[in-house]
Amino acid sequence: MLRIAIVGCGKIADQHVQAISRVPDCQIVSVCDREFLMARQLGERAGVSHCFSDLGELLKTTSPNVVHITTPPQSHYLLARQCLESGSHVYLEKPFTVTASEAKTLLQLAETRGLKITAGHNYQFTPEMLEMRRLIEQGFLGGKPVHLESYYSYDLGDATYVAPLLGNRSHWVRQLPGQLLHNVISHGIARLAEFLDDGLVEITASAHQSDRLRNLGGEEVLDELRVMIRDKSGTTAFFCFSTQIQPGLSEFRVCGPLNSILVDQVAGSLIRNQKRACKSYLTFFLPPLWSAMEHLRNGRRNILNFLGRKLYQDSGMTELVRRFYQSIRDGTPLPIPHREILLTARVMDEIFSRIYSGSEVAEKEQTEFSVV
Amino acid sequence: MDAKYLVSPSDRILVTGSSGFIGAKVVETVLEYGFTNVRCFVRPSSDLSRLKEILGRSQRGDGVELVCGDLLSRNDCEKAADGVSVIYHLAAGFDKSFAGAFMNSALATRNLMEAFMQHGEPKRFVNVSSFAVYSNLKLKRGAVLDESCPLEDAPQERYDAYGFGKLKQEELVEEYGNKHKLSYVILRPGTVFGPGKRDLSGRIGIDTFGFFIQVGGSNLLPLTFVDNCAEAVVLSGLKAGVDGEIFNVVDDQLLTSGQFLRAYKKRVKPFFSVRIPYALAYWVCALWEKYSKWSKGQLPPAFNRRRCAAEWKGNRYSNRKLRERLGWRPRVNLDRALAAFLAQFQSQES
Ligand SMILES: NC(=O)c1ccc[n+]([C@@H]2O[C@H](COP(=O)([O-])OP(=O)(O)OC[C@H]3O[C@@H](n4cnc5c(N)ncnc54)[C@H](OP(=O)(O)O)[C@@H]3O)[C@@H](O)[C@H]2O)c1
Repeated sequence: MLRIAIVGCGKIADQHVQAISRVPDCQIVSVCDREFLMARQLGERAGVSHCFSDLGELLKTTSPNVVHITTPPQSHYLLARQCLESGSHVYLEKPFTVTASEAKTLLQLAETRGLKITAGHNYQFTPEMLEMRRLIEQGFLGGKPVHLESYYSYDLGDATYVAPLLGNRSHWVRQLPGQLLHNVISHGIARLAEFLDDGLVEITASAHQSDRLRNLGGEEVLDELRVMIRDKSGTTAFFCFSTQIQPGLSEFRVCGPLNSILVDQVAGSLIRNQKRACKSYLTFFLPPLWSAMEHLRNGRRNILNFLGRKLYQDSGMTELVRRFYQSIRDGTPLPIPHREILLTARVMDEIFSRIYSGSEVAEKEQTEFSVV
Repeated sequence: MDAKYLVSPSDRILVTGSSGFIGAKVVETVLEYGFTNVRCFVRPSSDLSRLKEILGRSQRGDGVELVCGDLLSRNDCEKAADGVSVIYHLAAGFDKSFAGAFMNSALATRNLMEAFMQHGEPKRFVNVSSFAVYSNLKLKRGAVLDESCPLEDAPQERYDAYGFGKLKQEELVEEYGNKHKLSYVILRPGTVFGPGKRDLSGRIGIDTFGFFIQVGGSNLLPLTFVDNCAEAVVLSGLKAGVDGEIFNVVDDQLLTSGQFLRAYKKRVKPFFSVRIPYALAYWVCALWEKYSKWSKGQLPPAFNRRRCAAEWKGNRYSNRKLRERLGWRPRVNLDRALAAFLAQFQSQES
């Protein structure tokens, strides 16, 4: 039985509690928040009696095997280091750390201590992403991806999240180098990091503020981002983050030399786009029908998953937690390789240095970025 | 002003949540009572239009001080509570997550009470709570729900983050109040309605599934018109001899949910709705709750027996204590209140 602790008892902690409750052979033994009342409220609801306001005390008193860190990103590095140093494995929420150099130090520390650490890139483990990985392993793309596209949107419709941070420069989100973007884009970047080489030769990024955000009193916060990336072997990637696109978009396209895949994480679907020769007008008749078949297949699978009690709103987190714990128990490889965690952090660093300090863009544009 | 009140007109009064639906009305009422040293707490992101309109039309509006901050910051609470004698605390967390609701309701209240004790000249802390803290699960249909009704003991099962926040907020007020001998009063308004709030109360039905499902129809709504509610809030900060007391706030004349919906459809807009009896709703909610548990939350327990009872069971309500102990009388009768509520839709259209 793995003993689990949660540090940081805000909104996302509830999702962790749910995910952990669905994984066998583990139990939450303690919770901690700098604000003790927050720890107590979660403890009460999750049936955990050991509540702390000091991480050191939690580690000493309850010796957890795994600590889930669900605090604001600025505290990730120090808290994770403390957990690793005291011998606990760590599940660190996204964004993994504030900078790539912090990420590198943590990953190295985990390696030297023989401990496991993962990032909260849970959307990498939704059923459709798992299916994508299976297909790619079977050679569906026909080779290394030629091009990747990741779209991620975030609806500002409900202003309760953004309004308090817009009016308050000392809000923790505003203190991040990438501000609002820093807190939301890691899922979209992590998709790309899985397929890009460590050596990136080109990143261009442009960002602006939407009218909507300006009307909400946006100050210097940027909320529309477009990024182009090219790696050493020539794979290119496009990333788009938007608060404006409707309906909400969370898509990933992997184009191979033979076939392509489109994953839609809003609808939980995966479309296989296969190269099939059609003659004359059949080019217009058959492909739409094949597409329709693909959509039907997805609809059927989702219904079956629902009936089989497998379609959770946050299936990705449950799956990531399950795989992470399994890797701890069996000593099998981690669900997210360190390389990907670091590359995600590195790409984010590069993006923010470009969009929040214009002068660096020209200098860095043609440089090669060694990311490991 | 009544000489028996706890405070004099020049004592400093703080209203939190003052940009909100009820808070702005409380500010107006406090000014009408003749207080000259009124402070309103707002957030940098608050929409101040409602409050500014009230201050603009009030004689003493110019003298009102606006303090900007967030109750989650202890520093901001200290700024707000400095030199204050009475706090009308209406700010609350309406977040859908339990942690979010807890933060903006309970944690904010703890910060405010501590700042009040250290930096204020405390005479009374008025905590505006809600009917959401009650559980009528074991109460019979039609029985009277008053201040002695049991509190919800499983807000998690009820899947009501707001109610959880308000329950914990009350607990903290009682704990701090008793420990530090701080005079407090807790008010629990029912469904507050009036111009400025356009939504139909969830106690009438559900519109989650693309069309409106009216649940029951003969159940009385615990209505209180915003002016009447604000009057109760203000009085509870002034009256001596009610320390630690809890008051339900409902008006004298109430409507059933069916009556309310009919008036709304007639005056605002007709729309398609399906009516289901309470017993059927209860059965569906029980089933939903079971499925949610069995599927380990594949569907969240958004519909459950506790919520069903709280929203649609139909009880009777009493404002006897409010009348007897606070001397509260409704400012606006039901006909005028309903007319004012419905008029906002017409003025919007024109
Ligand atoms: N409406 C009802 O039917 C009803 C019924 C029973 C009880 N109540 C209680 O009555 C009170 C007022 O309700 P309402 O309907 O007037 O709600 P409302 O219009 O949403 O007002 C809530 C107020 O709280 C403020 N607030 C929230 N978190 C805050 C924080 N961290 N710091 C500072 N201010 C914060 C909001 O500021 P922003 O404007 O910046 O968001 C807003 O002004 C609440 O305590 C509620 O629980 C309401």
